[in-house]
Amino acid sequence: MEEPTAMSNAASQSASSRPGAARGLASAWWLRHETILAVLVVGEWLFFNSVGRRFGTWDNTFDILRHSAEIGLLSLALTPVILTGGIDLSVGSLLGLCAVVFGKLWRDAGLPVAAAASITLVVGGLAGGVNAALISGLRLPPLIVTLGSFSLFRGLAEALTRGVDTFTNFPSGFLFIGQERWLGVPAQTPVFLAAASFFWIWVHRTAQGRSFRAIGFSPEGSQYAGIPVRRRVASVYVAAGVVAAVAAILYTARLGQAKADAGTGYELYAITAVVLGGTSIFGGVGSVHGALLGVIAIAILNNGLVHARQPREVAGMLTGVLLIVALSVKPAIQRVALSWSRRKPGAKV
Amino acid sequence: MSERLLELTQVTKSFGAVRALKGVSFDLRPGEVHALLGENGAGKSTLIKIITGAHAPDSGRVEIGGSRVEGLNPARARALGIACIYQQPALFPQLSVAENIALRLEPSRMLRTIRWSERRRVAERLLAQVGAEIDSLCEVGDLSMPQQQLVEIACALGVGARILIMDEPTASLTQKEQRLLFGVVEDLRQKGIGIVYISHRLEEIFQLADRVTVLRDGESVGTFVASEVTEAALIERMVGREVAQVYPEREGEVGEPVLTLESVSSAAAGVGDVSLVVHAGEVVGVSGLVGAGRTELARVLFGLMPADRGVIRIHGERVDIDSPRRAVSHGIAYVPEDRRRHGIILEMSVASNTTLAIHERVFPGGWLRSSAENALASEFIRDLGIKAEGPHAVGASLSGGNQQKVSLARWLATRPRLLILDEPTQGVDIGAKAEIHKIVRRLARDGLAVLMISSDLPEVLGMSDRIAVMRNGRIAGILPGGTDARAVMALALGQA
Repeated sequence: MEEPTAMSNAASQSASSRPGAARGLASAWWLRHETILAVLVVGEWLFFNSVGRRFGTWDNTFDILRHSAEIGLLSLALTPVILTGGIDLSVGSLLGLCAVVFGKLWRDAGLPVAAAASITLVVGGLAGGVNAALISGLRLPPLIVTLGSFSLFRGLAEALTRGVDTFTNFPSGFLFIGQERWLGVPAQTPVFLAAASFFWIWVHRTAQGRSFRAIGFSPEGSQYAGIPVRRRVASVYVAAGVVAAVAAILYTARLGQAKADAGTGYELYAITAVVLGGTSIFGGVGSVHGALLGVIAIAILNNGLVHARQPREVAGMLTGVLLIVALSVKPAIQRVALSWSRRKPGAKV
Repeated sequence: MSERLLELTQVTKSFGAVRALKGVSFDLRPGEVHALLGENGAGKSTLIKIITGAHAPDSGRVEIGGSRVEGLNPARARALGIACIYQQPALFPQLSVAENIALRLEPSRMLRTIRWSERRRVAERLLAQVGAEIDSLCEVGDLSMPQQQLVEIACALGVGARILIMDEPTASLTQKEQRLLFGVVEDLRQKGIGIVYISHRLEEIFQLADRVTVLRDGESVGTFVASEVTEAALIERMVGREVAQVYPEREGEVGEPVLTLESVSSAAAGVGDVSLVVHAGEVVGVSGLVGAGRTELARVLFGLMPADRGVIRIHGERVDIDSPRRAVSHGIAYVPEDRRRHGIILEMSVASNTTLAIHERVFPGGWLRSSAENALASEFIRDLGIKAEGPHAVGASLSGGNQQKVSLARWLATRPRLLILDEPTQGVDIGAKAEIHKIVRRLARDGLAVLMISSDLPEVLGMSDRIAVMRNGRIAGILPGGTDARAVMALALGQA
């Protein structure tokens, strides 16, 4: 019984007796994951700005924003999910299902756009609720549940349209949200900013956000602390469903059409952005602003390569490189610092 | 009978600052059942782990089959004929009996053909040797616990074990199953196999063992021939004379009943018919052996396991506790046994850990207020003497005793009426232990009702106003504080 504690005491002592330089590095602001990523993003921007002539213009910047709004929304919603130690693979499929539902409500049921959009949000929330019920109610693993709903939602979207039906000819007032500018910026910007603010405050400034981390670190420990673990876990999946519906509406407005294959593969882009942003896939650690930086890094890469006249296929490869670089800078520097301080005469490790 | 299968001489082993074995000698002869007896934490498990090669001794001599062995590891121990049967059989439940036996017996090579008929034949021969009527094609998961133990014993015979260690083999067996097992043990003895037998049940030891070695605080206090020693003498040896340790004096008055249990039972927790009252200002100790249902009782009171019969009252009012949240709302706080897994969240700061159970109160409207949080955490750091770099220090950076104090701080922050402590000083150094005792006493003086579960007998005796002794999920008896260690031990062992 005493053994584990005794050994961990020894371990923590050796950790705290680590040379001061290396220990200080662990909390240095310039070695925070978000800082490293921000530097990479600036580097990316400068590089593409020097290569592509039109890259740095406002027009292109707004283009990048417009194209990353939907994946950005999904990344926002996935951050609390992943913080609790969960995952949601179904958000891309749900985007497709919501786009189709929205199209059906507007065209076939003859509802006004506002009503159709409102009902779509409810449908998104309910679909998220299905994930939530299975994960926190039946305690099934999130990976398996959302792998199932990933197929289920896409399949429903295809069934509703028999795989061929496409909804088009939306009114111009609706297309405005996706294609025009408002107060000089792309019209989806306010929606995105509102969502980003909401998620940032939820995760970083509320007691609920704190409990997401606690659950991610230790679900059992959180339960022992009297945190309503199941309710908290359920809420992040419902939120992800609602956000997928918002993304579906922006997507439809941007492309002017809704099809069953809308948002295919978006879940993976969004998860990549969240992880690139420094959120631990095991839960507990991470930030909303990190996820946003992750989205920007990937969006700049994809757009910049077009301006640099590189084939699109390179983007996937470079995203992988970016992920590895972003995640290895800090450990690499710490390792070097540690071996440096070891080399100093008299330094005991 | 001068031949020795196993001989340990002056074996020592420390884990960090904890000296688990302080020079223990032990030997085993062929055809002998040698029982190991001792309180929780006396060093039995460590001794077993040294014999099976899981731990290397710091000093001392290990001889197996008459020759000295250095650098024993589990694989070598097995090759030397040592097998261990644990309380929970370590078999693969989804595989058949024959496959499980084959996994232990057959050499592992990259490419090799499996001869199913041979496997089956070997399995059936071994099962017959232990007198087990088990179909070798049956899945192990479908077998009962004693049947699985027989499969384990069959494996041990199959690999030619000459030294068999049985760690509380009867803990989960019925009377009838026990008799069956004892028959098998008798057979093994006839075959000349030496058996190290660990059990808390004295009657079993007298029934089976040739010799008994009693361990206490990492030391052997004697080896006795079972037929020449009495139960009372063994209990006395296990408990020993009290090490003079000063416990804070009791002060203040006992007030109204805070917690009243009336025949509370929980099938899920294995707790039955528990009636107990804890008053304001009172420390009630809960003693008993590991597995007696003490932690389980705490889990029922904290809503982690359902109570299915009986009445729980808080301040006389009947309550239904179906979740930790509900328990907290009734003023119940639980400092759990497993501090690293349940007591605190290691990755989070002292401040975050302190406020984890009182989000509603420190964060009105659900908005984080770090100033209030840090102030509260600093207050507890000062009051409880937590050694940390500050409220922002991460839980993992603290020593065991200070982690325990953070866990305590979290629950005191809820301003509880009833504080349940589960092994509050386990794995904590002496200094922190005395501090925790002082804090608990002070809390009781201020009117808190304390239910303190502990395997540390001197602690229970020194701290408690009354002592509830549990055995087999029930309260075996309630003794006054300051009672004799032997009386507690006798109740815990069922010898009263």
